[in-house]
Amino acid sequence: MVTDERMPYAPYPAPTGTAVAAPPIPVASPNGSGPWFLARANLGVLIDTLREDGRTVIGPKVMDGAVVYGEIRSVDELPAGIGDEQSPGHYGLTKGRHRRIFDYAVGPLSPKRWTFPPVVPLNVGRRDGKAVSFEPAPIDPPALAFLGVRACEVAALGIQDRVFLGGPYTDEDYRARRRNALVIAVNCTTAASTCFCTSMGTGPEVRGGYDIALTELDEGFLLRAGTPEGADLVARMPVRGADAGQLFRAAEAVGKVAATMGDPVPTSGLHDRLLAQFDSPRWAKIAERCLSCANCTMVCPTCFCSSVTQRSDLDGEVSTSERVWDFCFTAGFAKVAGGNFRSRPRDRYRQWLTHKFATWVDQFGTFGCVGCGRCIAWCPVGIDIRAELLAIAPPLAVWPETGRPRPVAATPGSYATARIVSVRNETADVTTLTLGDVDAAFLAGEFGQFAMVTVPAFPPVPISISRFGRDTIDLTIRAAGPATASIIGLGPRDEIGIRGPLGTSWPIERAMGHDVVIVTGGIGLAPLRPLLDGLLAQRDRFDSIRLYYGARTPADHLYREELRRWAARGDIDVQLTVDRSSPDWTGPVGVVTHLFDRATWDGSRSLAFVCGPERMMEATVEALEGRGLTPDRIFVTLERHMECGIGLCGHCQTGGLFVCRDGPVFSLTQLGGIFGREGI
Amino acid sequence: MPAVAARPRLRVGIVKMASCDGCQLTLLDLEDELLALASRFEIVEFPEASSLRSAGPYDVLLVEGSISTPDQAAEIVELRRQAKLLVTIGACASYGGIQALRNWSSHDVFRAAVYAHPEYVESLATATPVSEHVKVDAELHGCPISPEQLREVLVSVAVGRRPQIREESVCLECKRLGTVCVMVARGMPCLGPVTQSGCGALCPTFGRGCYGCFGPREQANAASLARTFELEGREGEEVSRLFAGFTGWAGPFRSVIGDFGGPPGMTSGATSPITATTATTATTEGAGDAG
Amino acid sequence: MQGDDGGTLVADAPGIDHEFKVGYITRVEGEGSLSLRVRDGAVVEARLRIFEAPRYFERLVVGRTGDEVVDIVARICGICPIAYQMTAVHAFEDLYGIEIDPSVRALRRLLYCGEYIQSHALHVYLLHAPDYLGYPSALAMAVDHRAVVEQGLALKRTGNQLIAALGGRPVHPISVRVGGFSKAPRRSDLDGVRAALDAAVEQSLATVRLVATWDPPALEHPQPLVALRHEAEYPYNDGRIVSTDGLDLAPGAWREAFEEHHLEGSNALHARTHDGRVYLLGPTARIALAADRLHPLAAEALEATGLRDAIRTNIHRSIVARAVELLHACAEARDIIDGYRPPSEPKVAFTPRAGVAAWSTEAPRGLLHHRYEVDEQGHVTHAQIVPPTSQNQGAIEADLAAFAPAVLGLPHAEATHQLEMLIRAYDPCISCATHFLDLRIQDERSGKGT
Repeated sequence: MVTDERMPYAPYPAPTGTAVAAPPIPVASPNGSGPWFLARANLGVLIDTLREDGRTVIGPKVMDGAVVYGEIRSVDELPAGIGDEQSPGHYGLTKGRHRRIFDYAVGPLSPKRWTFPPVVPLNVGRRDGKAVSFEPAPIDPPALAFLGVRACEVAALGIQDRVFLGGPYTDEDYRARRRNALVIAVNCTTAASTCFCTSMGTGPEVRGGYDIALTELDEGFLLRAGTPEGADLVARMPVRGADAGQLFRAAEAVGKVAATMGDPVPTSGLHDRLLAQFDSPRWAKIAERCLSCANCTMVCPTCFCSSVTQRSDLDGEVSTSERVWDFCFTAGFAKVAGGNFRSRPRDRYRQWLTHKFATWVDQFGTFGCVGCGRCIAWCPVGIDIRAELLAIAPPLAVWPETGRPRPVAATPGSYATARIVSVRNETADVTTLTLGDVDAAFLAGEFGQFAMVTVPAFPPVPISISRFGRDTIDLTIRAAGPATASIIGLGPRDEIGIRGPLGTSWPIERAMGHDVVIVTGGIGLAPLRPLLDGLLAQRDRFDSIRLYYGARTPADHLYREELRRWAARGDIDVQLTVDRSSPDWTGPVGVVTHLFDRATWDGSRSLAFVCGPERMMEATVEALEGRGLTPDRIFVTLERHMECGIGLCGHCQTGGLFVCRDGPVFSLTQLGGIFGREGI
Repeated sequence: MPAVAARPRLRVGIVKMASCDGCQLTLLDLEDELLALASRFEIVEFPEASSLRSAGPYDVLLVEGSISTPDQAAEIVELRRQAKLLVTIGACASYGGIQALRNWSSHDVFRAAVYAHPEYVESLATATPVSEHVKVDAELHGCPISPEQLREVLVSVAVGRRPQIREESVCLECKRLGTVCVMVARGMPCLGPVTQSGCGALCPTFGRGCYGCFGPREQANAASLARTFELEGREGEEVSRLFAGFTGWAGPFRSVIGDFGGPPGMTSGATSPITATTATTATTEGAGDAG
Repeated sequence: MQGDDGGTLVADAPGIDHEFKVGYITRVEGEGSLSLRVRDGAVVEARLRIFEAPRYFERLVVGRTGDEVVDIVARICGICPIAYQMTAVHAFEDLYGIEIDPSVRALRRLLYCGEYIQSHALHVYLLHAPDYLGYPSALAMAVDHRAVVEQGLALKRTGNQLIAALGGRPVHPISVRVGGFSKAPRRSDLDGVRAALDAAVEQSLATVRLVATWDPPALEHPQPLVALRHEAEYPYNDGRIVSTDGLDLAPGAWREAFEEHHLEGSNALHARTHDGRVYLLGPTARIALAADRLHPLAAEALEATGLRDAIRTNIHRSIVARAVELLHACAEARDIIDGYRPPSEPKVAFTPRAGVAAWSTEAPRGLLHHRYEVDEQGHVTHAQIVPPTSQNQGAIEADLAAFAPAVLGLPHAEATHQLEMLIRAYDPCISCATHFLDLRIQDERSGKGT
């Protein structure tokens, strides 16, 4: 367990269902201080002070046509007035703003070269007769200070911290090197066209993991300290408090950078989307271009693979072992005595990309990519992973991607408001309200999420969002008690309070390339309707889609017009049933599971999404398992008493799970023995 | 387990076909290690450096040079019989060398261009790697080979392990050194990504693009790199000349050269390379057999 | 290249010939054999046959640019690649009118120093010294004379280190470009080799003293000598072609005085003066024609040996000349590094033009001449490369003819050794020569061939 503030990231958590953990958030530092202002002319004092402390300063300098990291002895060596221009397969230096030192984005090197060096001695092995001995190499890393570390690089250090220090086995050489290196980070005031840290959630602003963070202004640098060492350094420099104008300009500069980058790599569901494409023909297309040269892995600040080499004397009695950079694109990487597990270049590329953007999440809880864009610029044939990700595993573009904002009003006391635009009676006791004037966060919500809904004098209730419109959302509500009754009694132009969107969502990306089975009863179709919207909007991404919907009587089916329209499409199998028939009902009668008791579809290629009364869900799950679906491919949504919706009131706990926060959508694997159990 | 003291030294031979001697010289360039090696290896045949001769048998036979004359074609077959382990050293022996570029042209034209009396000159129609004549146990690549890799092969034979020759692109050596990519940052055409490492990424470190003297790496996607050179504005022969170097005869490079119109200076009329099997009929005397 | 019967010493010879053959000459670069035909104690025919396979470099460079030529011609020889690179690069720079920075020129000379150190140390210690000390190889010699061999290896290592510092690797360096270098070293990059050169100067001085004490086989046979001569420096990259017969030509004007012939039984093009005479190149010629340009340390060491005249007349004494040049190269390299300032640009841009690019430099083994005909795009249309060893063939055969009678009475093994030793004194670079020298000694009187 690492507690040093410079390495604030805790060991990786166990993966929680389908959610991808956000990039590591540092432990709050009690020594966070500033901001201070350092005049440009005094930057040299920082370098001198570090060197007086016996540290080697590793900072940016121009060499051989690029800005690289190297030893900096004086301010004059820094790349003043230098910028860079990058595009796939191309990198060039340009003129930056006058005297600006950090007007370049990133170069081919990263701090990884010093924390995870290309060659590190491991041990000396000796053989003496029958005895052998192995003397580990001493770990004695130099005292360094990295100057100019970008947010993406700080995030990369955090990611490698998890890899090397966060698991059951640790790399002490790495730990020692990290401990011995100060991090003087820089908030980016420029970005290259290859940068996409905004997509990966790692920048451009540095959030934690630094001793000092700088933001460059024309007249000098804004400084914050993040650790006691950082604060101590700042105290020894000629700084003064920064004024409001400087703070504003700094924030504006960084904000502008974020805006220019946009969001070229939608990461929502990327893990699942990518893993669903293991057999995509696109991999072979990339392999036509990919040279397997491994440049992308070497410029990547998080790639961590290596090999061990031996260099022995002629008798094989004394042998020096070293750890050297080696990466999954080299021929021998996956070789064993009988063959090579990854002999084809297309398999190697697939390994790299899926590791970086999918399986890394399973291993370490975050993406492996920080969005620095180096692999794009330094690929000799200019393969752009942003384009490749979009080509192989595009996001479901139901609505334009706007990123993934946090829910609004997510504190116990607050609510946002929305205005009712229209009201529609679905059944005798179920009404759909269409809300407008909603916060953009709702419009960007995901299928299966819910909102806490309230009006003054009545308790808040959780309601599934039953449709995401262009600028409206639908809530389908059953009048089950006074609160819900009062809400559905409202009319157009009435306002209500809402909090959200909350909770987990149906993992639609995992269904890509698979058969989909939806089984629901009564009002259970409401949280599934957005899922159906999504499936039908990109129908060709999925194989067969089957909807099995049961209700007490025909009048209790929701969305009857839509059901007819869906059935009429011809590319979705809609089967309805009722418990009790009526004179004009010609369809099946019976429980919903009877609809597929004697069906012939193959459950081993299906995902199932189930919502309804709990008894109905239990019976359905049993029937589905009998058809070959495994628990990891069956998803249910649970309903519990909720008062806050944000995991603080404690009401919705089930076993170890908070239904509002860890659900309401769960896979059966997650629920384990809880599902169907009385009294939990 | 190796025994102590008086174990017999391994008999080593170093022979030369058509080459410049540079790869043999690399053995002498091991300098201090050379004297230490003498304790485990008995160099029984090394005409460049020793007057002691031996026609075999050899535990290890290092062969430099391409097979370019009828005599050599016959000689290599006999040498193969004498050698337990036959290791080719260098681009000439492993790939045919720079002289293999003449395989795209007419042999007679080549001879006549250099010699006033071509009939005096005995050579095969093609210059070919040793492996096109006899089975080869291992190949050391490079023009010249790397002294470190040579040392590794000899030590491995002495110790009894497989030589650790890394199968990777030159890019790995470049990036491990921290050298800035000359192709991405300076637009210089560089064969590094498709070339076998071993030289220490010399050329990019010295500010020029790699010219592939260690030969193509396994599954080299030379065609993709050639297309990238084309996209940068080069056409036809301007692309083929980049691959028509000291290892141009090696498969992936040979295909690119063929696809882009042959090496520069090719004699007109010969558009596809002559293969070893057609070579044997075009010379003054019979030639050696592929063994 | 006209057909001509030049060079072999054939006389009319009735009667029986005694033939003397050595099947494979060892400890020379490349593959050669020799045979002599002798009658009545006089050599009737002398041929040194080098059966090195032809690689057709002069045709391989057709269609190539200057930079490509520089890379390709290095592969003519693994021991003296720099000589080929230098000659080619200066030839193209001369044609294209390129003015190289004085620092760059200093680096060129420094690189050549490295080659001289490496090549001469290799020859003196590993190839030639075993003859004097009575061993079949330097490895065998090391058993009894370890310190001597280690000194030679140390010098060779310094030469290699110097070449690698400038050119990346000692064999087939990569940084020589038309217009300069692909990268020029910083002064600090040369610190390591600069330190080694201090020891190298001492070691090469010791070498001069050592080899001067070795008694060579007797031979009094002065030959016409040809070398470059420069107004200020010991000839490496530049100089006028001069000879003991009063020749004085620009470095590109070789063919005004010399020509090549293709003889039967040889892949070798023999070289002769226009009036059909043989001539000798190499350390012997350079010492004779340019000793006044030696570094003071080397000049002093040469004087101290007292062998200046002996070098001129007995080719065996070339080992002393080589040792003196070794010392010169170490001392000059040291001076160049001390005065070195990196150029502002390692190389200059240029525009190719059509014409003839011709130049000569002094390779360790002697004068090396290149001549390229170039088209407007800078591609070679025709090439002529005249290596020193091929030019020396005639002189070798003449020396053999003069020397052979003295050894023919010895047992075959000893006679072989003596004749090989004579050939080794030339430090022939046979891969360069790609020639056949056919030396057969047939004793017509006894009728025996060996």
